[in-house]
Amino acid sequence: MNTNLKISNVTKIYPGCVANDNVSLEFNSGKIYALLGENGAGKSTLVKILSGVVIPDEGKIYLNENILKLNSPSDAKKNDIGMVFQHFNLFETLSVFENLIIDSDEKRESLREKIDTIMKKYNFSIDLDIPVLNLSAGQKQKVEIIRCLIRSPKVLIMDEPTSVLTEQETSELFLSLKKFSEEGILIIYITHKLKEVMQLCDEVAVMRRGKLVSVSQIKNENLESLANKMVGQDLKIIKKKKENNSSEQLININNLNFTSEDPFETNLVDINFSVNRGECLGIAGISGNGQSELFQVLSGEIISNKNSIEFNKNYIGDLNPQERREYLMAFSPEDRLEQAAIPQMAIFENVALNNFKSSNFFNNGLINESKIKEHSKKIISDFNVNTDNIDLKSQFLSGGNLQKLIIGRELITSPDLLICFNPTWGLDVGAINYIHETLIKINEQNKSIILISTDTDELLKLSDKISVIHKGKLSKIMNAEEVTSEKLGILMGGGN
Amino acid sequence: MIIDVNFVGLIIASIMASAVPLILASCGELITERSGVLNLGVEGMMIIGAISGFALMTVTGSLIIAVFGAMLAGVLISTIFAFLTQTLITNHVATGLALTIFGIGISAMIGKNFVGIPGKEFPVLFEGLKDTIPLLSPILFGHSIVFYFAFALPFITSYFLKKTKIGLIVRAVGDSPESASNQGINVRFVRYACILYGGAMCGLAGAYLSMIYTPQWIENMTGGRGWIALALVVFSTWNPIKILIGAMIFGGLTIIQFHMQAIGVRIPVQFLTALPYIVTIIVLVVISRDSRKIRLSTPSSLGKSFHKDN
Repeated sequence: MNTNLKISNVTKIYPGCVANDNVSLEFNSGKIYALLGENGAGKSTLVKILSGVVIPDEGKIYLNENILKLNSPSDAKKNDIGMVFQHFNLFETLSVFENLIIDSDEKRESLREKIDTIMKKYNFSIDLDIPVLNLSAGQKQKVEIIRCLIRSPKVLIMDEPTSVLTEQETSELFLSLKKFSEEGILIIYITHKLKEVMQLCDEVAVMRRGKLVSVSQIKNENLESLANKMVGQDLKIIKKKKENNSSEQLININNLNFTSEDPFETNLVDINFSVNRGECLGIAGISGNGQSELFQVLSGEIISNKNSIEFNKNYIGDLNPQERREYLMAFSPEDRLEQAAIPQMAIFENVALNNFKSSNFFNNGLINESKIKEHSKKIISDFNVNTDNIDLKSQFLSGGNLQKLIIGRELITSPDLLICFNPTWGLDVGAINYIHETLIKINEQNKSIILISTDTDELLKLSDKISVIHKGKLSKIMNAEEVTSEKLGILMGGGN
Repeated sequence: MIIDVNFVGLIIASIMASAVPLILASCGELITERSGVLNLGVEGMMIIGAISGFALMTVTGSLIIAVFGAMLAGVLISTIFAFLTQTLITNHVATGLALTIFGIGISAMIGKNFVGIPGKEFPVLFEGLKDTIPLLSPILFGHSIVFYFAFALPFITSYFLKKTKIGLIVRAVGDSPESASNQGINVRFVRYACILYGGAMCGLAGAYLSMIYTPQWIENMTGGRGWIALALVVFSTWNPIKILIGAMIFGGLTIIQFHMQAIGVRIPVQFLTALPYIVTIIVLVVISRDSRKIRLSTPSSLGKSFHKDN
């Protein structure tokens, strides 16, 4: 049976921003559709409209020529539209089975049979009786997918499904999606990752700033053409100049160990490395192998033995982050809204937060607001943060703009060393490009970077030396030119 | 010294009787908290229940009207809390504290006319069986219906949360109101219902105090039991069966320390009075030490306001 989904002249306006501007699209089953766009282009709003979470100001949705009234998520479900959100809609403390049955009226026994059949059919293997919080991101996503499949949907919408998956999990997902499509489920795939669109989809619709820019067949497109449509301008491809760096050692980590009391954390074992001035050391690894612990130990969130960290000829292992900043270290943590910035505080307040002592932000314990604001404006213009309102709460900045603000805040004190952890995670192409350029510039100014990242391409592009972290242990440090992504992959998996 | 087994039975029965209001209020608050709402107004709702029950009993003469009236009073006052926290999105902690202060004040005001009036005798069940089995008879028979209900309640609550669909929905809302809302669950409705249910149980707990346990009205007669009930919920890690254990330990030590004071044991009175509080908390902390289980049973959204944005 064929499914036809039509979006007709949909408009949604939020205060200060047109999220969807008169968007019309048509989808037919048997194909996989990509909805491509940068963060903030309006794709998430559009799929929220399709799933009944957001009600459009204008426009209509038709399923097989019948008009759909989508006033709540349950309306979408009733009309056989299934949706897997970017941020999982799961109940972490409930068991997998409980998560799956919560919106169904069927008997538990018959549901269990149904779920078992679905899992067998698509080769999913998940223990139904453990709590969801024990699952990996890939497994959690499968739970979400099963939850949709139970209702045998006509339409399945995936919102940025791979942002939390490993490469292995991503290819498993693609196989499943192709299978669903063959079985007649209409699949709409939302992403800003161009490679995935080329790999998976048949047709692509590109959105930019709330407007539909183009609809085309994948076979008529390539990576560059899509990137340019998405960003709206020609992207320059940046490359790092490999040059001879100075041999002056800036930071030296010596026999660093960390043993955690929390069973969910990774212990660090005998970490040894050093970074020279002007150099970028990349640390690769699959997430959860000790990266966040390593970042915390380096930044001083976790205090270690005084002699284990030597920075600029000072032993600083026992100093806290504030004190380390005074020695000209700077940090950009992984979680922008939880660790790097305080979401409820204004931009300028967040700018002041990492600069308690070494500035004129505070006079006799009072906040010097005009100084901070002046400084914030400089960061915003120097680092291309796309807002002119420094009183805006930082939670309203897009990921890319927030990351630029954070990097800007850290760099404006011109530190000798920047330690960053997944700086481009979840960002769109334009923002990633900008952050990469900035990091390369830092090295050119003879300053150093420790880049902890799960993105292998990023590491190969930016690093001078690379090491891999696996189960809390670092591999030997290699020159970036001698490393391939295959080799990194093997080391990341624990091989030799 | 010869100890009469029936005397031991009586002591155990009195321990259980003193645990009843704690079990009722805790099990009610547990449901409220499992849905993600922190209502610190337990003490206030209990005292409102106590005065309402006693006043209705005196005025109407009907025990049934009095008991259900007390529960209704608990529901009404918790509706204020629900309206403030769920509709007007006020802070749970501040609103709950205000509720307690309000409850204590208004109950004292209404209670002025009821001080010194003797209560009525509350009918007990199975009285004829009281002398049949040594030791067990005084424990099992001759108590009010509320008593039996209270000891069944933790098991009912546990079954409700684990085995029923509505229980699952309550836990889901407490775990992640955002996800629940996206699944089409009406979060506000579920939370209202849980708050009102908690209010009813606290009202019943109060009525038990003023109508059955010590049948009279004394100003501020809940005497901090509401706060103990709240503590029991947290230290039991939101587990109804552990609430039962905690309430029994607390009730037991309260009764035993009275007896120790009466016998004249040479331990400072202040220490004896503090004992139930300290021991209950230590025991509950020890039996719920498993950090994984704590993580699993703590409602993740506890005390956080949820408003659906569109």
